[in-house]
Amino acid sequence: MPLSRLTAWLLLAPTLLLLVLVFLVPIGWFIGGSLAELGTLSEIWEEADAVLFSGAVGGAILNTNWIAALVTLLVLLIGYPMSYALSRAKGLVFTAILLCIVLPYFTSTIVRTYAWMVLLGRNGLINQILLGIGLINEPLQLMYNRTGVIIGMTYVLLPYMVLTLYAAMKAVDQRLLQAAEGMGASPATVFLKVFMPLTLHGVIAGVLITFILALGFFVTPALMGGPGDIMIAMLIEREVELTYNWPTAALMTIVLLTVTLILYAFYARISDQGEARR
Amino acid sequence: MTDTMILPRRLLLGAALATPALRGAKAAGEVIVRTPGGVYDDIMRQHVYDPFTRETGITVRPVAATGAKLIAMFRANNVELDLIDTGDKQLLALENMGALAPIAYDQWRWSKPEDIEPEVKKTYQCGNFTYATVLAYSKTAFPNAHPNSWAEFWDAGRFPGPRMLADAATGSPNFEFALLADGVPKDQIYPIDIDRALRAMTRIRPQIRRFWDTGALSAQMMSDQEVVLGSIWNGRLQTLIDRNAPLAYTWNEHMIQVQALGVFKDARNKEGAQRLADFMMQPNVQAAYAKQLIYGPTNKQAQQFLTAEEKARMPGGENSQRSGFYQNINWWEDNRDRVNRAWSRWVLR
Amino acid sequence: MSGGASVALEAVTKRYGTETVVAGVSLAIPAGEFFTLLGPSGSGKTTTLSMLAGFVIPDEGRVVMGGQDMTQVPPRGRGLGMVFQNYAIFPHLNVAENVAFPLTVKGAPKAEIQARVAEALAMVKLTGFEARYARQLSGGQQQRVALARAIVAHPRIVLMDEPLGALDKNLRFHMQVEIKEIQQRLGMTAIYVTHDQEEALTMSDRIAIMDGGRIAQMGPPREVYEKPDSRFVAAFLGEANLLDVTRDGALVRGPGGGAIEAGAGQGTTLFVRPEKVTVSAAAPSGGPNQLPGQVLHASFLGNVVRYAVDVGQGATVLADAVNGPGAVLHAPGAPVTLHWRAEDSRLLAA
Repeated sequence: MPLSRLTAWLLLAPTLLLLVLVFLVPIGWFIGGSLAELGTLSEIWEEADAVLFSGAVGGAILNTNWIAALVTLLVLLIGYPMSYALSRAKGLVFTAILLCIVLPYFTSTIVRTYAWMVLLGRNGLINQILLGIGLINEPLQLMYNRTGVIIGMTYVLLPYMVLTLYAAMKAVDQRLLQAAEGMGASPATVFLKVFMPLTLHGVIAGVLITFILALGFFVTPALMGGPGDIMIAMLIEREVELTYNWPTAALMTIVLLTVTLILYAFYARISDQGEARR
Repeated sequence: MTDTMILPRRLLLGAALATPALRGAKAAGEVIVRTPGGVYDDIMRQHVYDPFTRETGITVRPVAATGAKLIAMFRANNVELDLIDTGDKQLLALENMGALAPIAYDQWRWSKPEDIEPEVKKTYQCGNFTYATVLAYSKTAFPNAHPNSWAEFWDAGRFPGPRMLADAATGSPNFEFALLADGVPKDQIYPIDIDRALRAMTRIRPQIRRFWDTGALSAQMMSDQEVVLGSIWNGRLQTLIDRNAPLAYTWNEHMIQVQALGVFKDARNKEGAQRLADFMMQPNVQAAYAKQLIYGPTNKQAQQFLTAEEKARMPGGENSQRSGFYQNINWWEDNRDRVNRAWSRWVLR
Repeated sequence: MSGGASVALEAVTKRYGTETVVAGVSLAIPAGEFFTLLGPSGSGKTTTLSMLAGFVIPDEGRVVMGGQDMTQVPPRGRGLGMVFQNYAIFPHLNVAENVAFPLTVKGAPKAEIQARVAEALAMVKLTGFEARYARQLSGGQQQRVALARAIVAHPRIVLMDEPLGALDKNLRFHMQVEIKEIQQRLGMTAIYVTHDQEEALTMSDRIAIMDGGRIAQMGPPREVYEKPDSRFVAAFLGEANLLDVTRDGALVRGPGGGAIEAGAGQGTTLFVRPEKVTVSAAAPSGGPNQLPGQVLHASFLGNVVRYAVDVGQGATVLADAVNGPGAVLHAPGAPVTLHWRAEDSRLLAA
């Protein structure tokens, strides 16, 4: 490490201070203040028990995990070959792929969602094409249900996976692949026995970051999902915005925050190991 | 009307917890007013804010804020707004927390308190217009017979096709319509039997493509023919019809809701806020913005500034007296938690 | 004992864009030979090796191995053993798994893999290191793993690309001996790439010196060292005196005008290795190949004293005198006479 520990801390200090002021203090204020409303610890525990094991919250937690897992799997399956292509591409092709991946970041969620409506709606482009070529007789329901949530979230989360995997793939020593080929390995074997294991830490990191982000999603499921596609963050938002039931929201926030932080700890470890191995 | 009329409230939530100081070195004569934002601000600027400034020298600054943000301001003892222009239900919640000052009817000099419709003239809030949730349909899907009541809306056999209703995220799911469809008379809707309403909802749920949570989404779904039937705010739908969308609606069994004004009791410019409210309630001022919003004025004297054609497009006049009903916000506010728990469980089924 | 296979390149050419990296290289390597491609960086030796390995397909010409045309065959079809620059040890596999790799990908039976891995590790003296990972090994140990992996499948041909480049001098010498020993024991054909001329001379049966994508000269180490065909080869393989000479009819004259007789060649550059030049205090006796001069400086290298002698007309000749019994040291400034045998010198094209 070329930077001394002290210098590093000094350089980080302004950012850390900002984060503490802008994120930690308000969250602390919100959680602390809301829980204080409930009263004693045992009263808090009682409320927690009632909130977390009530039908809606349990269902939302299940939904959240299931949707997050499914989206993560899809993002991995789509993202892996995409990252591979990106790690191999040069010049214009590279720029083109990268732009396609990153561009969605610069459009607002609302614009993006209306774009999805144009594509996926009952009278949208995809249904019209499928109806036109006679593949279906009735329009498919691609939006306002679980399918819509999965499509939307997969799209939004793809860049995180692709960029994480790209970093891991770019770090793979190309000479190792050539060496494997020279030692008699077929392209499939080179991929399975050398490339995949060498990018595994990237896969784990990508899966964790995608899953973590997916857990906290609420804009996309709210806009593209059906009535039953409620994720935990949406429930929190409802408790804050609709019922003004902040203690309940605070309790759910603690649960989500804890799970996220635990997963993040794993993520941090994995990426550290990835660094160390190089 | 809640803030979801134009901006999805969830986008504002992120900013709710970390509020930047809206008010720097505040000009002595400035009123900061919470509004739904977007086009609404343009209309109000033209017919209310700018004329008010010309008259008094007090400038008006509209800002967007969600209900939660208003509560957060009040709780944090850092009220950065003077006047609140929002749904009556949200104001009732603030009133119950003790956040509001009474409307200073006795200080009014532009408007006469006795001209205001009694249903919307309350101690802590005063309605500045009414809007209606109506039954809308696609003329393409129903060129001849169309549903004319909520019972017919529920009749998927006679009137097939995907439809939409309001989500709890709008502030209240359409329990009233469910009960009407289930045979409850209009004057016996309240107190709402939640279980009965949800049972009725369950019957139509397979036909519901989506419960809409923002006004923009409801309009989009109607204009895209994503649904052929739906509950929708009359102004939103009228705008589409005026652009020649093949849509129509019935005034039958429409629900009247109220947009209202309230003043923060800790507001820094409480006096300015009271004066702006007074100014906004004038008959000619109300008529001017109501015409453009296509929502109904609450000052009875405003009717004389409207043509018969304009009145026919708005709730609040004869239309409402004949076939509409006021939403009972007291019931909704008292049952907020019960409704949302029941709704969340029901939608997750 | 697997024995070796012959290898041949027939007029092989490779271009990248407008640049010709290898230009019509032909060579024939008999089975079991230790053959070295030697040259400075950019001379085309690595590209030539890549074409032998199959990583690069030549634009023209043929690659033949064991009598079979392999030009278009991908690397995995060539059955070669390879040692890579920087070893290319898989970081996610331990030593045993690394060494087993060429057998695993072929789907060899487990028992056979175990036996062969043990044998290969024994051969490179790494028994007991099976479970370690590359990051737990020293440079020399990593090199041995790479070597074991190259020979584990008993290939008939082994390609080695600067395998010792990253090792320090002592270790390098040690490994040179070991590699050569193993190659001879298994009878494999070895094709070795290096830019280190000493290494090439020590290990090879034959050396091809490459320059600008062509083979400048090819032959056994002693031949290419002592009988270079060009100034480039002469200078590249160790120290060389290259003196401008003039032709006067049939006579050749050196810097001082003295008569020169060379063993071979027709050019106007005289080549003679410093160790072939003797230095004496006596005056010239009148014979050929005697140059009078003055010692510029004498470097004492221990077993050898290297003299730089000014022979006039701005020319300097290096002479290595063995520091043998009764050796006399000539001080800087001393007048000396240099002499060499005609057969130890050559005339090269300028």
